[in-house]
Amino acid sequence: MSRRSFMKKTAAAIAAAAFPALPFAIAQPRTHRVEISGFKFTPDRLDVSVGDTVTWINRDIAPHTATAAEGGWDTGELVKGAQASITVTADMETSYFCAFHPMMKARLSITASDQ
Amino acid sequence: MKQKLLLAASMLALALQATPSAAQSPAELNDLQIAHVAYVADNIDIRYAHLALAISSNPAIHEFARTMIRDHTAVNEQALALLKKLNAQPQDNFLSKQLTVNSEKLIDEMSQLRGAAFDKRYAENELAYHKAVNDLVGNAFIPNIENAEVKSLFEAGLKIFKAHEHHAEMMVKSVSK
Ligand SMILES: [Cu+2]
Repeated sequence: MSRRSFMKKTAAAIAAAAFPALPFAIAQPRTHRVEISGFKFTPDRLDVSVGDTVTWINRDIAPHTATAAEGGWDTGELVKGAQASITVTADMETSYFCAFHPMMKARLSITASDQ
Repeated sequence: MKQKLLLAASMLALALQATPSAAQSPAELNDLQIAHVAYVADNIDIRYAHLALAISSNPAIHEFARTMIRDHTAVNEQALALLKKLNAQPQDNFLSKQLTVNSEKLIDEMSQLRGAAFDKRYAENELAYHKAVNDLVGNAFIPNIENAEVKSLFEAGLKIFKAHEHHAEMMVKSVSK
């Protein structure tokens, strides 16, 4: 056995011993994009998992925000071309709107994480 | 090469130049007159909004007024940047003058009102004003604008003002309760 393949096998054995209870790998957090354009959030419904990041980017001339319906989180003002990100937490509000144009509404849908 | 550029620039300037007309109908205005009307119309709505911030004590009216200032300021910044890029000056005309005269009357009238009476008048005027401007922009201006960049800015503007019209409808309902 070469030294290198011995090292590989050892590393794999240590990894298996360290995480014996995990049936599959932990899903990597993902980054989602929501485009704000023409006074709409696209997509207006987005499936996310805890730990993911949602990035809103404004393509309109008019400034917008993404603001939780009860105010629990807020991107703040996004001028044309600006973007802001929020990390998904288990207890965060899922309905949101634009604080400047309250008829602009959208929601996140938090799916059970696969951990 | 340099000469070609100069030629292109002067042709663009010609295309944007006023036919020194005394247009009497919105559809007869040239691009630079249209740009001026839009600029004046934006500023009028900003003035109404400042009046609302000064007189109203209704938080929803304040929110709405701040959105009007924020959005119309953003549109005007884009319009000025475009005119600068095209090396053009907006041109005063019958319609921009008429809009200014009308708005001064309305500001005098609304300045006399207080409380719920002001809120109602302001919201109703915002609805009527955005409706009128959208009609003008959609039906008289956009079909007649020659410069493609100016046209696309007006199309983006119209989307914003339609959202404002919709927002104003909600305001009218909420202050009429
Ligand atoms: Cu908005």
